[in-house]
Amino acid sequence: MISAENVTVTRAGRKLIDNVGLDLEPGRFTVVIGPNGAGKSTLMKVISGEMKPDTGFVSYHGASVDLCQPVDLARRRAVLPQATQLAFPFTALEIVRMGAVAQGALNPTEQARQALSRVGLRGFESRPYPSLSGGEQQRVQFARALAQVPQPVADGVPRALFLDEPTASLDLGHQISVLEIARDFADAGGIVLAILHDLNLAAEFADHLVVLNHGRVVAEGACLETVNDEIIASVYGIAGAVGRIPAAHIPYVLPQSRHR
Amino acid sequence: MMKALAMPFRPAEDGDRTRKGIVVLLLLAAVLFVACLLSLGIGPTGVDLHDLWIYATGSGASLSTQERVILEAVRLPRTALGLLVGAGLAVSGAMMQGLFRNPLADPGIVGVTSGAGLAAVAAIVLGNGILAPVAMVLGNQFLPLMAFFGGLFNTWMLYLIATRDGRTSTTTLILSGIAIGALSAALMGLMIVMADDRQLRDITFWSLGSLGGATFGRVFSILPFIGAVIVIIPFVARGLDALVLGDAAAFHMGIPVQRLKKIVIVAVAAACGSTVAVAGSIGFVGIVVPHLLRLVMGPSHRFLLPGSALGGGALLLIADCVARTVAAPAELPIGVVTALFGAPVFLFLLLGKNGITMRDMP
Amino acid sequence: MGSSFTFRGLFAAVLLGASLAAGVASASDKGNPEAKRIVSIGGTITEILYALGAEDRIVARDSTSFYPDAATSKPDVGYMRALSAEGILGQKPDLILMEEGSGPPPVIEILKASEVPMVVIPTPPKADLIGRKIRDVGAAVGLSDKAEALAVKTEEGLKKLAADVAKIPGPKKKVLFVLSLTNNRVMAGGADTEAGAVIEMAGGVNAAPTINGYKPLADEGVIAAKPDVVLSMSRGDHALTPEQVFATPSMQTTPAAANKALVTMDGLLLLGFGPRTPDAARSLAAQIYPGAIN
Repeated sequence: MISAENVTVTRAGRKLIDNVGLDLEPGRFTVVIGPNGAGKSTLMKVISGEMKPDTGFVSYHGASVDLCQPVDLARRRAVLPQATQLAFPFTALEIVRMGAVAQGALNPTEQARQALSRVGLRGFESRPYPSLSGGEQQRVQFARALAQVPQPVADGVPRALFLDEPTASLDLGHQISVLEIARDFADAGGIVLAILHDLNLAAEFADHLVVLNHGRVVAEGACLETVNDEIIASVYGIAGAVGRIPAAHIPYVLPQSRHR
Repeated sequence: MMKALAMPFRPAEDGDRTRKGIVVLLLLAAVLFVACLLSLGIGPTGVDLHDLWIYATGSGASLSTQERVILEAVRLPRTALGLLVGAGLAVSGAMMQGLFRNPLADPGIVGVTSGAGLAAVAAIVLGNGILAPVAMVLGNQFLPLMAFFGGLFNTWMLYLIATRDGRTSTTTLILSGIAIGALSAALMGLMIVMADDRQLRDITFWSLGSLGGATFGRVFSILPFIGAVIVIIPFVARGLDALVLGDAAAFHMGIPVQRLKKIVIVAVAAACGSTVAVAGSIGFVGIVVPHLLRLVMGPSHRFLLPGSALGGGALLLIADCVARTVAAPAELPIGVVTALFGAPVFLFLLLGKNGITMRDMP
Repeated sequence: MGSSFTFRGLFAAVLLGASLAAGVASASDKGNPEAKRIVSIGGTITEILYALGAEDRIVARDSTSFYPDAATSKPDVGYMRALSAEGILGQKPDLILMEEGSGPPPVIEILKASEVPMVVIPTPPKADLIGRKIRDVGAAVGLSDKAEALAVKTEEGLKKLAADVAKIPGPKKKVLFVLSLTNNRVMAGGADTEAGAVIEMAGGVNAAPTINGYKPLADEGVIAAKPDVVLSMSRGDHALTPEQVFATPSMQTTPAAANKALVTMDGLLLLGFGPRTPDAARSLAAQIYPGAIN
């Protein structure tokens, strides 16, 4: 289990995260939602070990994250960043391979190929990354994260996937397939933490939903309890949108209603 | 193998450039070997490879004193120096480009060249004045030592400015590098104003670079620093690859980012400081060689860094051959040759049809 | 243990130093009277060799050797402080004659190690040492007799000049030597320069005695110097014109500007301390004090 306790991050006098506590349990898909500036990315940076909080601490299976070497942390969790600029034209395979190498794989190139297949990018191995579309680039990054933690549970220790807006540049079909891969990861015993901005997808995939606003947790729990008119209105400023069908002349597409 | 070579500017079909990387490295090693032979066998005295063979196979007694002196005191140390300087400059350039995620970065960014230049000018101008006692004691080593420590000092200053809470910000490093470079240039200008005619000529020749002063003493004095920057290649290659995705992503993949930056900056500063100290300032090698190699073998540092060492050594040796034969019996400063060839090659690459297209550059 | 180590180290250093010094002394003493392939480094060395009639024995020269004109047709081994060891050795010399201050030092070391006879001629900018320079060159190439004659002639020329100059009536004129005038910045010849020495030989007074060497002179320094005459070098076809010189703001108020007193002479002739120096100084004196000397 990965826990954050009493975490506060202050920058320039403003509290980006205010006394937040969060437990990430294995086998559970945790989703964080909230408006822009709520502190979601900051929280993920703290939990992933990238940023040191001003107060509070983060522990991985009991051990404080401060004491972990980057190499060991890399074996336990992989992070999918929000956006990545690339200065040099690596191929898709080379980028995914970096994730496999971070895992310490003995055959990183082969692992990388498999990861690319999993995200549906078989055949894209030799494409230079800068020549890919935004969505394809995002999926390559996801493959890199998967290559870094190929097994949800290894040596009895659950591994973690941290996804920062993994669906940002993807079309609906790919959004769903990415989240389904993450879902499988959690089902197999891994830890998943995702920041999503699409409330419908969050509602479908989250086992545990955390609503963040102004750096504080305003609601936490199962989707049915947290996604309701009150909370959505207070956080997003939109009233009466939960569970209601729009006016007759407006069609609605609910990905979570799709055929499986 | 021919298929791998046939498409030099596109990756292999399966996306894995390992095989091509190895092939290119082997080719570069061969080119370097040939360049060494050229450097050892070409020169205005007519001592050639045949004489080298005689010398190497132990029947050196049959060579005249002068032929032996040419081989031992001119050709061999010069070849060794050219190889080390070229390798050091090219690897440093490649590492800087990886560290700063920018193909135009060169080792000068960390302030080494401006610091070394300032110290060298100070040595030339003040060597008969305020610094005369030091100059007397150190003799021929005065200028190289000044240049070396000047380079390191500047880098140290820069590093201190750009590092807060143990984190080195690359942006701050670049910006403060510009500031310190400007300060160094201003101080240099001040000393140039104080300089007399002879000193001005010395400064000019120094700043154009030359391998003409090569001795085995100099070769051994830079060997540890160039050796250091090459020895760390296997340790930093993976980190520099990961760094291309950003400091955060590199950290997430297990790279100790701050430690990597520190190691690379120190190694590059030492290597470049030492090359500037013994050979003056030689430009273009640090940018052109890694860039050319990236086009051929891809940006992965596993192959780029060793390739740069081989290619840089070869390039400098060939440039040196040109420098000492074109204007014989005089010598062109080698910095002039590298710039004269480097710039057009660079432009050709950028503009030619096999060159970088907008799609490939961010 | 420690003290014996440092004692041994010191002893070794002294030995090394002594052997190096001995090496240096022996190398620079050797000339080669039979030399047929001489590499001549330094403008006046080349000039002296030509004056001694040894021009056919010269096989290469450096870039500062451009008198006489014939010398420029010989191969050029580069600037005398940026020589190429192999370039010089490639000329297969049997004697290398170089002015003191040639370099860079590692190249000189290599040349020494090559066992080609090498003589370093000291060249301080003093008129009374010209004779010694000529004799040194002559001794190195086995032409001591001719060198003696030339040296004596030169020394007499200098003596006669000194006597004639002493007879020039009136106060001594202040002469400002201008090495270059780029961007209206005056690079002047100061106290211990060849220019300063020649000016004195010609009966003038150096207008910039407070600076050492060839250094830039601030505008106010130029005005304070109050030169009566401005002396500048020509090189080939390039020479400063009076218009250029006296248009410079700092020069406009000088006494020299009032008389448009600009003297231009060939650089090597003027500043190279060699056999032509008595004539050069006499010519300078004649231009500084028109009509007072022939």
